[in-house]
Amino acid sequence: MTELLKGNFSTKETVEDTETETTLEQRFEKEALKKLGGSIAFVSKQKVMWDDDDDKKD
Amino acid sequence: MTITAENLENRHDSKTDGQLGMELVANMPEITKARIQNSGVENAQNNLPHLNRGQSLKALRDVSIAEGDSALVVSAGPSIRRTNVAEKLLASNYKGAIIATESSMLYCLRHGIVPDLVVTLDPHATRIVRWFGDPNLTEADLRADDYFSRQDMDISFSDELRANEQIIELLEKYGKQIRIALSSSSSKKVVQRALECDMDIYWWNPMYDDPGEKDSVTKQLYGMNKLPCVNAGGNVGSACWMMSHAVLGKKHVAVTGMDFGYYAETPYRNTQYYKEALALVGEENLGSLYIRLFNPHLQQWFYTDPAYMWYRTSFLEMAAEADCITYNCTEGGTLFGDNIAFITLEQFLTGQRTAIQQ
Repeated sequence: MTELLKGNFSTKETVEDTETETTLEQRFEKEALKKLGGSIAFVSKQKVMWDDDDDKKD
Repeated sequence: MTITAENLENRHDSKTDGQLGMELVANMPEITKARIQNSGVENAQNNLPHLNRGQSLKALRDVSIAEGDSALVVSAGPSIRRTNVAEKLLASNYKGAIIATESSMLYCLRHGIVPDLVVTLDPHATRIVRWFGDPNLTEADLRADDYFSRQDMDISFSDELRANEQIIELLEKYGKQIRIALSSSSSKKVVQRALECDMDIYWWNPMYDDPGEKDSVTKQLYGMNKLPCVNAGGNVGSACWMMSHAVLGKKHVAVTGMDFGYYAETPYRNTQYYKEALALVGEENLGSLYIRLFNPHLQQWFYTDPAYMWYRTSFLEMAAEADCITYNCTEGGTLFGDNIAFITLEQFLTGQRTAIQQ
């Protein structure tokens, strides 16, 4: 953080970097998670087809 | 509990069979939405100029497809080869509708079966076109993505360049005879192939959310292209089943190749998300991600991954509310439960639908 925050002022209180560093492994896992899943997210138990004209078969 | 990369690490010690997989099932809609929605909607915008090259799916409601009130869905699960779906179908006198996923199109056409309707859904930019044959496919493309060659889906796809040539040849021959329910989410390459092959196109929107909700993406999409929106059930096989009864009005709908899982002896390496599974939990913990299920009708074990498990759960819920009787003639896999008759394909084809095992 100190490497990133460079300016011509000083803060009144000490600022600590509370953000946890993301490890390479975590980033890898996050990317892997993104690739899981199906072809479309929404699944309805009852609504099968919809258009503006009607809400038939809800 | 939401699974994130940050808390996944702490789950690695949980080696209970399938436990992490079951936790991930609940996250599948969210994960899918993050991966799919933007590309699907973007594709829909790009497809606007092509809508006049086909009709709305609504038009299919007025078309009498095949004889009688039954439909047979052909999906591309590993069972279609093991149970010889095509041979049984050809040997029968079945005159009902045949609805195929785009992924089973090669299998059907190679056996001389021209489906009454082919359905495509997934917006993936490069993979889905492979089911249609990609005229620009190179060996470098194959080296970059082993999704098809690795899997136990259609053995012919393991010889990928040859399979690619074959589907191109077959669609050149049969393309004009094929009706296709082409999702607005389809990639540029898929749409291009459907147009090139002169397929009979019926456009539709997959539902991204409940159109009744405020700020619904589905409703906005409808406002843009005026296409009917269909609950696709998470995957193209379920979308085929949905269209069979909700669009074509069939009352008896059988599914084949709808494994939603793998045979017990299938190596993890041959599953669809193996690489991702490996990245998530490591080789030693793969057992925590894959879920094992005992099929009581077959007295046989199968296993599945979180995505297929989500499809399975969703399908069972949808089947309970559907305006049709659903028959699972896959003769394998994990799709069994209330509201689905688990029978053989021969039973269905010969009209022995009363032999229902629930």
